[in-house]
Amino acid sequence: MSAAAVVFAFASGLAIVFALLMVLLKTPVKSVLALVVTFFGLAILSVQLAAPFIAAIQIIVYAGAILVLFLFVIMLLNLNEEAREKDARPVQKALGLVTVVALGGVLLGATLRAPEAPVTRLASGPRVPVADEIPVLGRLLFSDYLFAFEAMSVLLLVAAVGALILSKRRMD
Amino acid sequence: MNVLSGVAPMGVPPAAYLFVGTVLFAIGIAGALLKRNALSIFLSIELMMNAVNLLILTYARMRGDAAGQMIVFFVIAIAAAEAAVGLAVFVALFRARETVEVDKVNLLKW
Amino acid sequence: MSAELFHAVASAGMIALAWTILLGLYLLIVVWAERRIAGLIQDRPGPNRVGPYGLFQTLADVPKMFLKEDVTPLYVDRLLHTVAPAIILIPALTTIAIVPLGAPVTIAGRTIPLVVADVNIGVLYLFALTSVSVYGLIIGAWASNNKYSLLGGLRASAQIISYELSMGIAAIAVFVSAGSLRPVAVVEWQGAHVWNCVGQVIGCVIFIVSAFAETNRVPFDLPEAESELVGGYHTEFSAFKFGMFFMSEYANMFVAAAMIVTLYFGGWTLPFVTFTGNFGALLSLGVFLAKVFAWVFVFIWVRWTLPRFRYDQLMALGWKVLLPLSVLNLLAVAWWVASGKGGA
Repeated sequence: MSAAAVVFAFASGLAIVFALLMVLLKTPVKSVLALVVTFFGLAILSVQLAAPFIAAIQIIVYAGAILVLFLFVIMLLNLNEEAREKDARPVQKALGLVTVVALGGVLLGATLRAPEAPVTRLASGPRVPVADEIPVLGRLLFSDYLFAFEAMSVLLLVAAVGALILSKRRMD
Repeated sequence: MNVLSGVAPMGVPPAAYLFVGTVLFAIGIAGALLKRNALSIFLSIELMMNAVNLLILTYARMRGDAAGQMIVFFVIAIAAAEAAVGLAVFVALFRARETVEVDKVNLLKW
Repeated sequence: MSAELFHAVASAGMIALAWTILLGLYLLIVVWAERRIAGLIQDRPGPNRVGPYGLFQTLADVPKMFLKEDVTPLYVDRLLHTVAPAIILIPALTTIAIVPLGAPVTIAGRTIPLVVADVNIGVLYLFALTSVSVYGLIIGAWASNNKYSLLGGLRASAQIISYELSMGIAAIAVFVSAGSLRPVAVVEWQGAHVWNCVGQVIGCVIFIVSAFAETNRVPFDLPEAESELVGGYHTEFSAFKFGMFFMSEYANMFVAAAMIVTLYFGGWTLPFVTFTGNFGALLSLGVFLAKVFAWVFVFIWVRWTLPRFRYDQLMALGWKVLLPLSVLNLLAVAWWVASGKGGA
């Protein structure tokens, strides 16, 4: 097993196991922590896919900001365990599991058996993997994706203002 | 499923990454369907988005195209905005109904 | 020796060097230094029993920390209570990986820069790990099941994520002028041009203030304020777990000082001096350590001199003063570089 295969096995095992834990754990706080570990696994996989910048952004933004926000909200609302003693609902759970397994099987079949892409690539697009892809991404961001970049900054501003307004306590 | 000709070969076959991404997506769907706490459902949705990010990065690496990484960058930023607004909605919901379980939010039912 | 094997051995050697400096040299000194300097500033002797001038005080403190009884209250969340100190300690010990410790060394015909990991993303790695260490605080606070801890933990994490922003944007101005995210490139740029503390004064001040806030040092140490919150987020942790919190705070201080030196004070370079050969690399390591220890002294000096901020003053400073200033700083530097006057 090459070093890359060992790292891949570790990272993907980590991601899948902790994703399962996230779904199975009842306390929201522990679910969030399990998801943080999943994101770490995904970040390691992103580094292997020649995208270290995306890995860093994923940890900084996703694991470091969004999930912290989740934790703050959970603590603010003082959410504890899910009320599981009232209704267990086994029929719904079984149906849900069947649906998930069927859907997952269909998706797996579709992704793994997709035909080979026709041999075309963007003629002049920037290529990965490359020794230092940060300048490449920077140039892309400010040339082809400039409109998306500016629109995204407006989106983030609107989201911040919207979140403030929505969660404001009514001072009637 | 292989890397396009002319692109540096990958140490691990791309099918493995696609498998991991799809399995994570399926786990996310399981969480979204089976959980009752709105925050847990939202966490599962975030997991689904990250699984899709992994898939896009794999395809970008197979094609040797850096635009895939740009797409993932924007998806992460949009997810941040969405999480902020979604959590604010949950906070407002909790203030109004004292619960965040999706079963209990059923005033508009027949 | 093949390139890969050489690379692996070199990395292992670098990790050993970095951790020897951090854990062996720095931690032993700083615990003693803090209490001794505190004594000097407060006009009292400080520890002077254990060895000459109390120099072996740390050697007495560490076994005490290991051997003290680990009191874990019944009402805490066991798993999270055990995991929280580890979550905050691991980033503190691994952020040193990107800090360039000295000029490149040449061994067996190959040149290796004195960095543990010269990754492309450079300082983004530091920001990522700082974001993760916030979890240690929150989880420690939540697991303690205690009002004081929760308040302290929430305050600490809110403070850290607020000051991360201004720190990051001030650092971006440095990267714009150096043309790269890697600290090695920033240090080389400063060696070739001028130190960034001279070229970007406002950015330097913003970064230093944010670094104080990030490491929870006075005047920003409200989260662990002994006079207000009992112990803040580490109230319920005793013996070794408290030792881990303690150690992580000092390690964070070292990395903050190291980043200030690397990004703004020239790293291992000195003006008008070039370091050549392996002996030059050793000298540059000494220069770097001298600068970092000087900044650690400043950290300690400020702690025992200034009173602490109130929480609303702290948040107002971070959001209403430092963040706009850092954005303006970035704009000014970007304009300077784009108009061709500066830059790589």
